[in-house]
Amino acid sequence: MNRHTVDRSDLLALLPETVALKYLTRSVLSGQEAPPRIALLRAASPMGEPSARWSAYALCELVDEAMSRFPEGSRAAADAWLAPRLHATLRMTRAEASDPELWIYVAMVVAPDYVVWRHLGGAGSSGEPAMVATGRFTGPHYTQAFARLWWAAELFRDGDDYRPAVTACRNQDVLNTVMRLDLIDHRPSARAVVRLLDQGTIRTGREVNALAKAINTAGTTLLYDVLAPDELPEQEGVREWIRDAETAPPAPWKALPDGPKDGRIPEASVDTMTGCFAGLFEKAPVRGRADSPSPGVPAQGVSLHKAYAESSEPRSAR
Amino acid sequence: MTTSVRPYPTLAGSVELEVVGAALDGRPQLLDMISRQERVVALHLNERSDWREARLELRARLPQRELSTGPWQKVECVAVLTEGVTNSRTLRPLRRASDGSWAGSITVERDLHRVRADLDLFVTATIGDVPGRIVGTDENPWIVDLTARTPLRQRTLEINEVDFGDADVPWLSRFKELPWLVETSGGDVPTVHLNLGFEGLKELLGSGGSVSEKALRGSIAAQIAAEAWTAMFHSAISELELDDDGTPQWPGGWRESVLRIMLPDVHPELPPADALFEAHSSRANGGGWHELQSRIQYAASRRAKVSRSLSTAIRSLDRSKEARA
Repeated sequence: MNRHTVDRSDLLALLPETVALKYLTRSVLSGQEAPPRIALLRAASPMGEPSARWSAYALCELVDEAMSRFPEGSRAAADAWLAPRLHATLRMTRAEASDPELWIYVAMVVAPDYVVWRHLGGAGSSGEPAMVATGRFTGPHYTQAFARLWWAAELFRDGDDYRPAVTACRNQDVLNTVMRLDLIDHRPSARAVVRLLDQGTIRTGREVNALAKAINTAGTTLLYDVLAPDELPEQEGVREWIRDAETAPPAPWKALPDGPKDGRIPEASVDTMTGCFAGLFEKAPVRGRADSPSPGVPAQGVSLHKAYAESSEPRSAR
Repeated sequence: MTTSVRPYPTLAGSVELEVVGAALDGRPQLLDMISRQERVVALHLNERSDWREARLELRARLPQRELSTGPWQKVECVAVLTEGVTNSRTLRPLRRASDGSWAGSITVERDLHRVRADLDLFVTATIGDVPGRIVGTDENPWIVDLTARTPLRQRTLEINEVDFGDADVPWLSRFKELPWLVETSGGDVPTVHLNLGFEGLKELLGSGGSVSEKALRGSIAAQIAAEAWTAMFHSAISELELDDDGTPQWPGGWRESVLRIMLPDVHPELPPADALFEAHSSRANGGGWHELQSRIQYAASRRAKVSRSLSTAIRSLDRSKEARA
C-alpha cells in the first residue's frame, strides 16, 4: 500500500467514525487497498486554529522512520520507540486527545499503511486473508493504533521523563490490559506498575495480567489516592509545552524527547504503591507460575525477559 | 453501602455530597447552573466560552455519630472528579467544618475534560492496619457537564435534520426512502437523522396542526424513540468487553446508561450485573436470543412511552370522527 505524498503544509483534521466504518472494507483491512483519500478528505473537518502541532508531515516522517527501523518480526518493538515521539510531536491537552475523530483521521488518511504494517495478523486457518481489526482504525484509546501509543506515553510518563512510558510500551500486556484500568489514571499507581517491570518482579504477560486483576480487585475497597497522594499536574507546564510546538525541532530519533514539565510524581507515593502492588502480586494466582520462567509469552515479538532498567535509552541533553 | 459485600465494617448511615457554589476563573457563577434535584452542574456558558478552570464549592453530610462511635480510625472524606474519555482523575480532601459538615472545593480543569465528568464522594478510614479502606460513598454521584447550559441529568438524543438525498451526505443517500435513521456508531451520543427529503415529515413533526395531527405526531415521535432505544440497546450489548473469566464489563458512556436503564425491564427478575451477563450470554450463545427480542421491544416501548402516545392518538382520532359524525 503506497501512501499518497503528504504535503509539508498539510494539517491534521477530524474524521467521523461513521464515514470511516463505511470505507473499512475487506480490501482496506487486509492491506490490499488504501482507504479512498479524496472521499475521506471531503468528509473531514478542520481542527480549529491552524498550528505547527497539527502538522501531518511531521507525523508521516516519524511513522516512516518507525517502519524502516523495525524489521518484520519485531514490529511490536516499534511501540516503545514510537509512543514518546508521537506524544512529543502531537502536543495537545487530554481534552483534545480524547477526540476519537482526530485519531481516526490519522489512521485513515495520514498513515493507514502503518496501521496495516503494525497490526495485520496472520492468515486464518480457513485460508481467509489476514485482516486488521476495525478497532485499530476507529477503536477506544487503548485499542486504536495511534491513540494507544499517545495515551500510553501520557499515562505512564513521569512529568517530562518518558522513560517509564518506554518500559510500559515494551510489554504488550501492559498496553492491552493495564491501560484499560481506571486506576492507572492515578499516576503513582501507573508508575508503580512500571517499577515492578523495571525490578523484574513481573516479567511475563501472565504475570502482568495477574497483577492487573489483583490491583483492580483491591481497588474496589481501597482508595489508592489516599494511600499514596499525588500532586495535581501543573496545567501551565502542559500549555507551555504546547506553545513551544511552534518552534520546537522535530522529536529526536536516537535520544528520547522531553515531555511537558507538569511536575514529577511524588517519590514517596510511588514507593508506597510499589510495595502495595508487590504485596498484592505475591498473593495473586498466576497461570503457570509453578513452572516459571515459562516460555508462555505472547508471540508479539517482544522479549519480556529484558533487563528493562539497563536498556533505557539515553535522554536528550537539556 | 449496599452495592457490594465488604470484609470490614462500613457506614450504615447515608453519605451525601452537595455542590453549593461554582466559580469560573475566579468569577462566582449564578446558582442556576447547579441543580440539586438533578445533581448536575452545567458549565457551558455562551458569554464565557473561554474559561480555563471552574472551582466547585462542596459540602458533605456524613453520619457523624456513627463515625465517632464506630471502629474507624483516621477518617478522611475526599471528592473525586473523573472522566473516562480523558482518563482524568482529580482528588481533593474535604475538612470538618464547625457545623459538623465537611467542606472543601475541587477544580475542574478545562484542558482535562471533554464532555461530562463524574463527581464522587468517598469516606475512607484505617481499619486494623489497612489504611485507605472505602467505608462509605455517596451512591448518587454528581455530574459536571461541560457542554450543557442547563443542569439536566438525562441526555437527549442528537437530532440531525437532513435531506438524505443531499450530495453532502453521500452515505445517507441509500437510505433516502426512509423517514428517519438511528445511528449509534461514533459520537458522544446516538443520533437520529430525520429525512427532510421525506415529503410531509417536517410539517408533521413541526409545531401546530389539529388535535389529531398532534396526536399522530406524538405517536410517531414515540415510534422513533422506541427504534432509537432498540438500536442503542443492540449497539451497547454487542460491544461488551469481557474480563478473564468471561464476565461482561459495563461499557461506560451512553452505552452503559442505556443498559442500566433498560435491563431492569428486560430481565426484571435479575440484579443489573446478572441481567447484563444473561443478556450477553444469550446473544453470544444464541440460546434465548429470540425470546430476548420481545423483551427488548417491551423495554424500548416502555422507555419511549409508545403505548401511551398510541392510545392518545387513537382516542383523539375517535373523538375527531365523533365530532364529524
